[in-house]
Amino acid sequence: MTEVANINIDDAVLVRQCWQGDSAAIERLILKYQNRIYNVILKICADPDDAAELTQDTFVKIIENIDNFQGRSGFYTWAFRIAVNLTLNYCRRNTRLGFSSLDAEQIRENSQPGKVLKELLSNESSLDPASVAQDKEVCQIVLESLKKLDDAQRAVVVLRDIEGMNYNQIANVLDIELGTVRSRLSRGRKKLRQILEAILQ
Amino acid sequence: MKEIPNLDELLNSFIDGELAPRQHTEVQRLVAHDEKIARRLDELQQCKMFLSSLPVVEAPPRILENVKASLARRTLLGEEPSAFDEQIGARHLLGRKLFAAAAMLGLVGILAAVVYSIVAPTVPRGPIAAGRRDMPATVDLAESAPVTVVAAPFSGRLELQTSTLPAVVGFINRAIEENIPSDEWVASDQSKSREPHSLICSGESFNLLLARLDDIWDKLDSATLFVDTEVFGRKVIVEAVTAEQVAGIVNQVDSTRRIEVARDFAVLNNISEHLPGREILAAIDNTTVDLITPPKPVLTEDTKKFIPGTDAVKNIHLTIAVTDNQ
Repeated sequence: MTEVANINIDDAVLVRQCWQGDSAAIERLILKYQNRIYNVILKICADPDDAAELTQDTFVKIIENIDNFQGRSGFYTWAFRIAVNLTLNYCRRNTRLGFSSLDAEQIRENSQPGKVLKELLSNESSLDPASVAQDKEVCQIVLESLKKLDDAQRAVVVLRDIEGMNYNQIANVLDIELGTVRSRLSRGRKKLRQILEAILQ
Repeated sequence: MKEIPNLDELLNSFIDGELAPRQHTEVQRLVAHDEKIARRLDELQQCKMFLSSLPVVEAPPRILENVKASLARRTLLGEEPSAFDEQIGARHLLGRKLFAAAAMLGLVGILAAVVYSIVAPTVPRGPIAAGRRDMPATVDLAESAPVTVVAAPFSGRLELQTSTLPAVVGFINRAIEENIPSDEWVASDQSKSREPHSLICSGESFNLLLARLDDIWDKLDSATLFVDTEVFGRKVIVEAVTAEQVAGIVNQVDSTRRIEVARDFAVLNNISEHLPGREILAAIDNTTVDLITPPKPVLTEDTKKFIPGTDAVKNIHLTIAVTDNQ
């Protein structure tokens, strides 16, 4: 994310430069958004290799269609729309995303991350969720729990809680109503907690 | 507690700061007064915190290079153009377009020159053009400096076919009378105007006659010139010959050149007569054929030729025969 901080040129300026065939501007856009797009894709598809490939496909598609970008929405939401659509389409096609790898028994046997999570979810916990989330194994459990959400809910939750988009941006990216964003987010978070609790029972 | 519809949605929107100020205050009041709602809010906040605290993973280092490679590969495979290469590609494409345009122009120029050399527009030169309205013969004489020579004798036969025989024959008779001195022409039977006319005349007289005959050429169904060669019994036959071509052949200074020109005209007239589409157009409308028929070839080079009034040698032997085409 350090590269993002170094690139302060406005997206609209970069896009205009891209329209003029400036390959350096395209490179700047890629460097600016590659980490964020990769993270969102990774959280939705949960496979680093697939995420890398989908990120690459996303940028190829962005470059190929940059001339068609009308600027009605921001480049940011347009780029994420491409990324999320590619990823969700990929998820629908790919049966590997059945999340069979998440074995509740195994988690119970790997007692340490399970205990920490259980304590965190117990309401009486004094643990900081932010610090717990840094644990690699806990992180893996959460990610795989996230994958148990259906695609539509997972996309909304990831865009809100990981990418930090507001509801309007999510609605734009997914091309859905604002009310749909609210309901999907609500159901997604609720279900995620239920999944985690079920795993840790 | 009174059941609140969509409580989770309301609480999530509260957490995410997506409520209007009035709703926000309302939720704060609810949380303050209801322990169950407050606990639910904590759970949702905890979940949100948990997800938003997941470590950010950096993208693999070669994303940019892979994107470039992917675009280059697609370009090579003839798929979508690479925007990376667009700038260079645009310049290259412009260069290629300019080169192609230049090559095309050159080709068109060469083609035009070739076509022009074959079907050049009528250049009003020599006596044939004397009767032309657009450029008098005197202009032509002033602009060229022909070499005056005594031409070799010409011998040949001009066979004309027409469906308006009386009118054409009458016109020819008058033209001969007006342009050829009476001692230079003979008809096989002067009382029968349709008999062939045998002319033994000078180049000057002959050119004047041809200039006059040019006016009725469009009334002819066919015109064939038989040019005698030095080989007995061998003739060069020029079909669909025009008055101007006849002059061009006859006016050559030697028989070798005359035969060459006659052969060239014979070939070119033959090509011209068999151009694709001519028959189709003729079948559609006979009257339109002449409109699109390319002009017959004429001599465009500055050949040695007769100058009217300078050559009084009677060295042209031509028989003109007119027959009925019906």
